Parts: sequence; C-alpha cells; structure tokens
Amino acid sequence: MNNWLTRDNLIRWAPLLVLLALICLFALIEPRFFSVRNAARIAIASTPALMVAIGVTFIIIMGSIDLSMEGTVSVCAVIFAFAFIALGGTLASFAWLALPLALLVGAAVGLLNGLIHVRFKIPSFMCSLAIGFVGTGFALLLTGGDRVRVEDELFRSLLTIRFLNFPIMVYVALACLVLAWFIQSHTKLGRNFYAIGGGEELATSSGLNVGRVRALAFMLAGMFYAIGALLAVGRIGIAETATGNNFMFVSITAVVVGGTALWGGIGGVWNTLVGVLIVNVINNGMVVIGLPNFVQDAVLGILVITAVVLSTNRKTVAFVK
Amino acid sequence: MSTFIKDFIEREKVSRRNFLLASAYGISGAAALKMFGPSPVQAATHDDPAIAWSYRNRTNPYWNEIVSGGEAFVESLGKSKDALVHLINEGSSEKSLADVKALMAKESGKVALAIDTNDAPNCRPVVEAVAAAGGYVSTIWNKTDDLHPWDFGDNYVSHMTWSDEKPAEQTARILLDAIGGKGGVVHLGGIASNNPAIERLQGLKNALKDYPDVELLDAQPADWDTQKANQIMSSFITRYGDEISGVHCANDTIGYGVLEALRAEGMDIPIVTYDGNPQAVDLVREGRILATVFTNPHWGGGVTASLAYHAATGAFKPSEEPNEHREFYGPTIMVTPQDAADFKAKYLENVPTYDWKDFWGPSNGQIQYK
Repeated sequence: MNNWLTRDNLIRWAPLLVLLALICLFALIEPRFFSVRNAARIAIASTPALMVAIGVTFIIIMGSIDLSMEGTVSVCAVIFAFAFIALGGTLASFAWLALPLALLVGAAVGLLNGLIHVRFKIPSFMCSLAIGFVGTGFALLLTGGDRVRVEDELFRSLLTIRFLNFPIMVYVALACLVLAWFIQSHTKLGRNFYAIGGGEELATSSGLNVGRVRALAFMLAGMFYAIGALLAVGRIGIAETATGNNFMFVSITAVVVGGTALWGGIGGVWNTLVGVLIVNVINNGMVVIGLPNFVQDAVLGILVITAVVLSTNRKTVAFVK
Repeated sequence: MSTFIKDFIEREKVSRRNFLLASAYGISGAAALKMFGPSPVQAATHDDPAIAWSYRNRTNPYWNEIVSGGEAFVESLGKSKDALVHLINEGSSEKSLADVKALMAKESGKVALAIDTNDAPNCRPVVEAVAAAGGYVSTIWNKTDDLHPWDFGDNYVSHMTWSDEKPAEQTARILLDAIGGKGGVVHLGGIASNNPAIERLQGLKNALKDYPDVELLDAQPADWDTQKANQIMSSFITRYGDEISGVHCANDTIGYGVLEALRAEGMDIPIVTYDGNPQAVDLVREGRILATVFTNPHWGGGVTASLAYHAATGAFKPSEEPNEHREFYGPTIMVTPQDAADFKAKYLENVPTYDWKDFWGPSNGQIQYK
C-alpha cells in the first residue's frame, strides 16, 4: 500500500472526497446537474452561508460555539439597508458608507457577545444564543416587521454582473475566504485560536491572555456575519428580520461536515469551504434529481453524521460530552 | 408517497375519528346533564375587558398586518394602541395555550381574545380554557372541523378562515392563459403541512385540469421563505431550464425569491403570487408579477378583535346570531396589473377606516366542510 494512504490522510481529505462523490452521484443521476450554469447557482447560494460559516469556524476552532449569527445577520442587514437608503440609495453616492457601517455593527455585536461571555463567565453557547435573540428582536424593532428593498443597480451588480460565468459576489466571497485563511494561518491571533482549542490550560499557563483572544474572536466572527448579511441582501435585494433565518443550521452543519471538530483545535476555513459546498450541493442536487422534500431533510441529517464519522479522528478524544 | 405511509396516515385518521366521536359523545353527555341543573359558568359580560391578540410574531408581513388591524380597532375605542395585549407564541402551540391561561388568570377572565392557535388541535384547549374562565374568544385560521363556536354558547364568539383554493385557482388560470395554455409550470409552496399551502397547490391543480397541454413539472415547499424560494427556483432552472414557462407561488415572499432567481439568470417568465403585500402590489403594477390575492389581513385582525370585544361587552349576543355569522370566510380580492394602481390607492396608501361594528359585511359566506 502506498504510504500516503494513511488513516490520517484519509481523514484529512475525507470531506473533499465526500464532496466529489456527491457531485459525481448527482451528475450521474441527472447530467444537467454538472454544468457551469448550475455551478454558478450553487456558488450564489453558498456565498452568504460561507461568510457566516467562516465566522463561526474561528469560534469552533477555540472549542467554543457561537449561535448569534441569525440575529447578527438580521441586524447588520437591516441597519445596512436603512443607512444605504438614507445616505442616497446608490453606491455612487455617500451610501457606500453603509458598507463599513454594517461591518462595524457586526464587530460591535460580536465584541459585546465576546465580552459578556468572558467577563461574566457565561458559556458561549448560552451567551451567544441570547445575543442572537436580542439581535432578532432589535432588527424587528427597527423594521416594525416590514421589509426594506435595496434596488440600487450598482449594488445589485454583485448578483447581476458576471465575470467568467460567475457573479461578482462569488469573487468577493473568495477574496474574504483568502483573507480568513491569512488571519487563521499567518497572524498571531489566528494561531492563538488553535492554541486555545488544543488545550486552554496550556495556553493560559504559557502566558496567553485567553479572555482577550476570545473577545477578539467573537468580534472577528461578527464582522464575517456582517459580510454574510451584505451578500444576502445583494442576493435577493431585500433586508428584513428574516434575512438571518436558517443561517445557524446551515453554518454549523457546514463547519462540522467540513471536518472542523466541535471540541476545538482541528480544522480551518478551507474545511468550511468544503462543508458549505457539500451542504449546498446536497440542497441543489436533491431538487435537481427530483427527490421529495421530506427525504431531503433526512438525507442531510444522515450525511452530517456520516461526515463527522469519516472526517474526524475520534481516537485522540478522551471524552465526548 | 409510499403505500406504507399512505396506509399509516389513513389508519391514524380513522383512529382519530373514533377518538373524536367518543369525545363528542362525552361532551354531549355532559351537556345533557347540564340541562337538569344550572351551568357552573354563566356567560357574564364585562364592561371593559382586556383586549388581546395571540399570534406567531411580527417578522412576517402578513402577521404584521393582522396585528396592525388589531391596534387600529383598539384605537377606534379611544384607547392607546399599547392597550392591546400581545401574546406572541413564536410558532409554539404550547406557549400559545400557556399564555392564554396566564392571561385569563391575571384578568380573572375579563378578556376579549383574538387568536390564531398556531395549529388546529390546539384550538380546542384554548377555547375551553377561555370559556372556563368566562372570557370571550374569536379565532382565525386554525381549528379542527369538529369544533364549532355554537357548541360553546357565547364564549366562543366566531371563527374566520380563508378558502384559498378558489383564488389560487384564479391566479393559476391567469398564469396559464399568459403562457398561451401550453408548456410547463412549477409551483413553490408554503410549509408542506400548512393548510393554506395545501389549498393553494390544490387550486393550481384544479386549474390545470382545463389546460391539458400544460405540465406541472415540479412542486416543492419553500416554507414561505424568500431565501429558500430563491435557492429552490435556481435548482428548478437547472433541472428544467427553458421548459419552465410560468411559476405559481404560494405567497408573495416566495415570489420575491423567485423573481431574484430569474433576474440572476437573465430570465423573464410570468409568475403569480398570493397575499397582496404592498411590495407585491407594486410589482404587479410594474407587470413583474401577473396577479396576487389580497386577503385584507388588516381588516381580519381588527374585526376578529372587535367580535370578541363586542361579545364580551354584551353589545351583541353571539348565540343569537345565525351560524354563518359564527363561522365564515374572510374576504379575497384579486389584484392584476389593470387594477393594481386603484387597489393600491384604495387599500394600501390610505388604510381605509373600517367600521369595526360591521362584522360580516366584507366576509365571504359560511365555512363549508368537505
């Protein structure tokens, strides 16, 4: 046997193999699945979810969890849309300021989340879930239940203008992915996420200010949620309280299916890319091959378990809780 | 659906029917006993009952409109709109019932409640809890077929629902005519188990019977969600491509997602929606949506609260009203490009001031059970 075919290597590449297998499977059943146009459709559906999933990847690498994405996305989307329209309603005017404003709002919500989690020593699960609810409520307060349309052709060119068959929003997402990879692999902050996830006591005794890193991680995640919100608004041209719906399920599933372990220290943003693609290939493929809806949910559930079994090395885990 | 699942559902229906028959017997037995003695709960009226609306939440434009109608009614009484008590169930029947019981306890039953009980089986316990406390309740949408207001004297004031099959069939005909009576259509539906979702798809199927050259290519639930509808429509385009000549959507929010999926592909094919939300009406006026159906949720929300309130104050006695005033269909108005501008001016730009004591004027006849 070739020496590269080790269990470690298999586990490492399992998510990608699962993705390729799925693509082959769907393409065999329905050849129309395998086309550039459909790849673009899957990519469009994936971009907002990818941004949100990258955000939560940083948190999961630390062994924490962040469930505030739905509220944060809604708040960022709604504030962006209001500011965008108030400042002129087209990217060619001062309305472009709404873009950095949305990022600031995302960062602020994330930082608040992180500070409450660290200062009051509330488990990240509870704290972020609560902040998420607050966010959804706040977005509802701002909109009063209405939806805000963002009709600017220039902003909507994220979706409508294509370059090599893919709309601009896909390239924006790819650029953000590379940025996330850079933060993860080439900055002290990124390396510290792994240090905390691999062993928090060890990181603390090595002199790392764990609280500070955690708070910054939540802030960074919030900024990626904000980018996700912008792309979500760019995709359908509407900002509303429901903009954040479903992002929790999709992003956490994608991170886990991509091979980032929920106990921390393992995985990264490339795994998340593969995970998001797996989830969206399944969603697209099951409609394309004509599976009934109730089967789709069941298949997705089975796939999550299968992917976790295949892609994580559970031998090194002392206990499961 | 496999025969196994079909059989299972059929069996469950039968055993549920037996159970309902048995419980109906139990109730009528109890009623017969009551004839020989005074009933423990007399329908006492209240001078100034608390007015409450119990609903899912306000994020959905439809429910937002319903509740704004409730607020308009409260304001018509000379109260501030904050006087309306909001019981928000967030899609949980358990919370819905618990909230109602808590409110009844807090106000000692002096309550006029308007409610959508979230799902049909939850309607009976809610109505029983209100009646036992001496409150007054009017329901919309969800109710089992064996439960009737007239079985509860005055306390269960009324039930209103909307029959979506006919209007959905009309929008379908507009769509099928627009594509010239041939080609393929797809349907994007609501949450698969929701009654309106089932009726709106059935409406399309009814219309299709008269159009033998049109094929229903696919129907998938989009859960009333814009983003989900957007993704499903993209997948439909992959699978059927140019075979799709028209899209039938179960509501406006689904329609928005479909329009954006078509825009991303540079496609322009006719679509019809449902609900008549302001933005959808604008899109109808621009000709981007061929038709939508307005169910006047503002009026529905207001008049449901009004019915419960006026029964509670004794302004009218529900038990003296005929059955078609206790169980009735809400209004439906078709909006097409020709009349969209008029419609918008009349219903949306200036919300009409309704006479909240005209309980049944705009309604659409007594509910029929199949």
